[in-house]
Amino acid sequence: MRRFFQGAIEAFRRRRAPAARATPSGPVARPEQTALLRAIETLGGELDLDRVLPELVDRLAELLRADTADFYVYGRSRQRLRCAVVHGLPGELVGFEVAADTTLAGEAIAAGRPVVATSPPVPHPAYESLAGAIVAPLVGAEGASGVLGVGRRHGEFTAEDADFLGAFASLAELAIRNAETFAERSRQERVQRGFYRIASVLGQPLSLAATLDAIAQAATEALGGSSAAVLMPRAGVLELVGSHELPEDLTRALGDGLPDSAKALATAAAARRILAASSVADDDRFEPEWRALAARAGAASLLAAPVESPRQGSGGLVLVFFAERRELTDDDLELAIHLADATGGALERSELFEAERTSRALAQQLARTGSLLATELDPAAVLDEVVQQAPALLGAEACTVRLLAGDELVVQSGAGPGTDAALAARSPSTGRLLGDIVQSRAPIAIDDVDVDNRYAAADPVLAEGYRAFLGVPLIGPERTVHGVLSVYSLQPRAWLPEEIDALSALATNTSAALSNAELYQSVALEKERSFAILANIADGIVAVDRQGQVVLWNAAAELITGIPQAEALGRTPLQVLGRTLESEGDSPGGDRLLAIQRGGEDAWLSITEAIMRDPAGVVSGRIFAFRDISADRFVEQMKSDFVSTVSHELRTPLTSIYGFAETLLRQDVQFGDQERETFLRYIASEAERLTGIVDALLNVARLDTGDLHVNISPVDVRPVVSEVVSSADDGGANGHRFVVDLPTEPLRAEADPDKLRQIVAQLVDNAVKYSPDGGTVTIAARRKSETVEFSVVDEGMGIPQAEQQRIFRKFYRADSPTDREERSGTGLGLFIAQGLVTAMGGRIWVESAEGSGASFAFELPAARARL
Amino acid sequence: MTRVLVIDDEAPIRLLCRVNLEAEGMEVLEAPDGPKGLEQARAAEPDVILLDVMMPGLDGWQVAEQLLEDDRTRSIPIVFLTARAEFRDRARGLDLGGIDYVTKPFNPLELAPLVEDMLKRVGRGERDELRGEKLAELRALMRDE
Repeated sequence: MRRFFQGAIEAFRRRRAPAARATPSGPVARPEQTALLRAIETLGGELDLDRVLPELVDRLAELLRADTADFYVYGRSRQRLRCAVVHGLPGELVGFEVAADTTLAGEAIAAGRPVVATSPPVPHPAYESLAGAIVAPLVGAEGASGVLGVGRRHGEFTAEDADFLGAFASLAELAIRNAETFAERSRQERVQRGFYRIASVLGQPLSLAATLDAIAQAATEALGGSSAAVLMPRAGVLELVGSHELPEDLTRALGDGLPDSAKALATAAAARRILAASSVADDDRFEPEWRALAARAGAASLLAAPVESPRQGSGGLVLVFFAERRELTDDDLELAIHLADATGGALERSELFEAERTSRALAQQLARTGSLLATELDPAAVLDEVVQQAPALLGAEACTVRLLAGDELVVQSGAGPGTDAALAARSPSTGRLLGDIVQSRAPIAIDDVDVDNRYAAADPVLAEGYRAFLGVPLIGPERTVHGVLSVYSLQPRAWLPEEIDALSALATNTSAALSNAELYQSVALEKERSFAILANIADGIVAVDRQGQVVLWNAAAELITGIPQAEALGRTPLQVLGRTLESEGDSPGGDRLLAIQRGGEDAWLSITEAIMRDPAGVVSGRIFAFRDISADRFVEQMKSDFVSTVSHELRTPLTSIYGFAETLLRQDVQFGDQERETFLRYIASEAERLTGIVDALLNVARLDTGDLHVNISPVDVRPVVSEVVSSADDGGANGHRFVVDLPTEPLRAEADPDKLRQIVAQLVDNAVKYSPDGGTVTIAARRKSETVEFSVVDEGMGIPQAEQQRIFRKFYRADSPTDREERSGTGLGLFIAQGLVTAMGGRIWVESAEGSGASFAFELPAARARL
Repeated sequence: MTRVLVIDDEAPIRLLCRVNLEAEGMEVLEAPDGPKGLEQARAAEPDVILLDVMMPGLDGWQVAEQLLEDDRTRSIPIVFLTARAEFRDRARGLDLGGIDYVTKPFNPLELAPLVEDMLKRVGRGERDELRGEKLAELRALMRDE
């Protein structure tokens, strides 16, 4: 550019040089030439048209020593001249227009050369005072493009001055064209930069928001605007989604969507038309409100280009604002169309990217949620988790889970404002919206529930002020719908397919997690129940695994075996109990009897066994259930012994009775009277013995049935005791010495004398029986404060501590002094004695140490004092 | 003269045996318990011992064992007198080495023929056969039960 100017200046020098030599005023002309050259050089270095023009007129006035200088742009199409810059004239003249075929300027354009005038015509009062003027046209390749004028208030211009102005105008034309070219190039560069930006936006996987802002910036730069906004349709409204340098006023105004006062823009967007407004302030396509807003925001002009939204049915807009009034050219409009196309592409790309990113984010979120849910084993916690996760997943404000209960959907869990109130709310499973989801087993997405007021009626949560709804069915195992998962958004929103997919996936996760949790709960409950049963069951339960090692050893098993669980687990029953529990072979029968050692004693178990098999039929474990029947066996054994003993006890006297009777019946032997009497006495006494035994058995039966009757009266016990002892003494109790210790005074007790006799006799009998080596048997009776206490003390073998509780039981008989010796007696004596004492309102006890005799004692109520 | 030792803690039973055996011309010795019975058996060398099972102190089984362990008394046939009717008790007696058993109550008139018959067979060297017969008899009874 500078070289071009240098060339032009050289040409001028060559042209001016001969003239300078030909004129005598060479010395005068030389400084003018120098000044002109300097001015042109200055102008040639200036590329900004806004600065070129003032510089031009200032230099011109200086060079020609003119009072005024001006430059008018020639609008060829309108045949008008418009003042662009002035020197020495009022600034208001700038913008003044005049018809191109009048005045001196018109003459100069028509002549195609400078025109000199004295007292020139006055197109504007500002020119009135001028005495002389020259006007020279600026002529380029396409004809005149403007005029340069100078004026003097005193004196006139010469023809040389006109030549000079002509030369200056040629150079000025070049300078202006140069600046214009540069401006145009700059504009093109800007446009190019805009495209590059759009292209780079296109090439980058930018987020949607970043893309929209980049588009706004690109539009601003490409069109030389001051700011730009991108509006995209959302739920029927054009919403501000991206901007660049947008003034606060406009940002605020567009924040709630394009205002109605700018409806023309929405119409243009819908019709996919470009809308250009060079002067918004007086463009009646806009409501006054919008016009005022534009003026306030410093937006003199605007250009709106439609943008295809890749997803939405309706289109969006790129709005470019210009701070200064701008004539919008065809070039601008074309550029805007290209911009809009490019924007569409960028948006599409970005939306794809965004969709992918959203999908990925949703997938990641879902995976996180899924793993969270998978580890949650409480159904209520699953629901709580889901209602927290779902709104976060979709950027919504609330969520509910409804589960089917019969033919109703019941809100089980909710998160977000207003959902608390909806808890436990019921809605029919065949109703609108929620019911539709259940019936169709498909998601329902509503971008704006306000379009149909029946929606709010269908879901109480929507009535809380939510605008957008997305509900998906909860589909459980066997493909049955068992609920609805819904999310709610306070703002209307277009639910994206991937969002719907994501919520559906979450619903699937939820269903699976719920099933898991419910299954776990039921298993846990079952397990708890099983444990409770096992813990409380009276039977011992032992389970062994495939290896035969104990995996279960319940409390009853501990009790029965005397072995704590900790000692049993992980070992085999053989190791634990010293014997196996398994039956022979693979198919256990019913109950088996098994003896184990427990604390050195045999414990008898009645055991049943169940075999667990894996699907292949291989034994995978065994469960043993057993019951301690030691006590049962003990009783059985006692009963058996009792029968045997009673049989023996009965047979002995019977032998005598039968034998002596047979003997007496012998015809072949003659017995003497004494012999016969002896035989008969034996028959009598043994018969009596037999009766005693039968009586004892009857007493037991009566005690068992509670039919024992006692006739209580105040009895002096002394004769009863003495009688029993003397009878025992007579009975040939070998080697025993009887000591009777009774008070001298009557000792009266409330008693049945027969029963008392029976008790004392039994105790004395026992004392004799269990002191086989003889010794002293002391029988005493004493008055205590309220009772009469009897005691029978022997020096016999005594009773071990452990046995003392058992001796009063039915059928109990103490072991004989040596193991191998037979025990005798029915085992009923002490049982009956205790029953009789109790029946008379008393109690009986024993004190003994093994090997050092026993002291049996009982007390009966003392007889009440007689008045 | 056949000498019979009766060991029983019940005086009436001893008397019953004595009266009826003496009536058949046998000599009867008595012992009221096990130790005295053993003493008598060793001292008097009876031909037969009638031995009660259920006695305080040393019971009949123990007495039988000791008799059979003692060279002086081993050959004396033992007949158990038992009030215990269970087969196992009867079998136990025979297992121990008893030749026969008599279950109480019994007809005292049958004692003498039983003793005589037994002594005859033992005298013929049929002691083991006799025991075998009795065991077989017992087994048959147990089978029928």
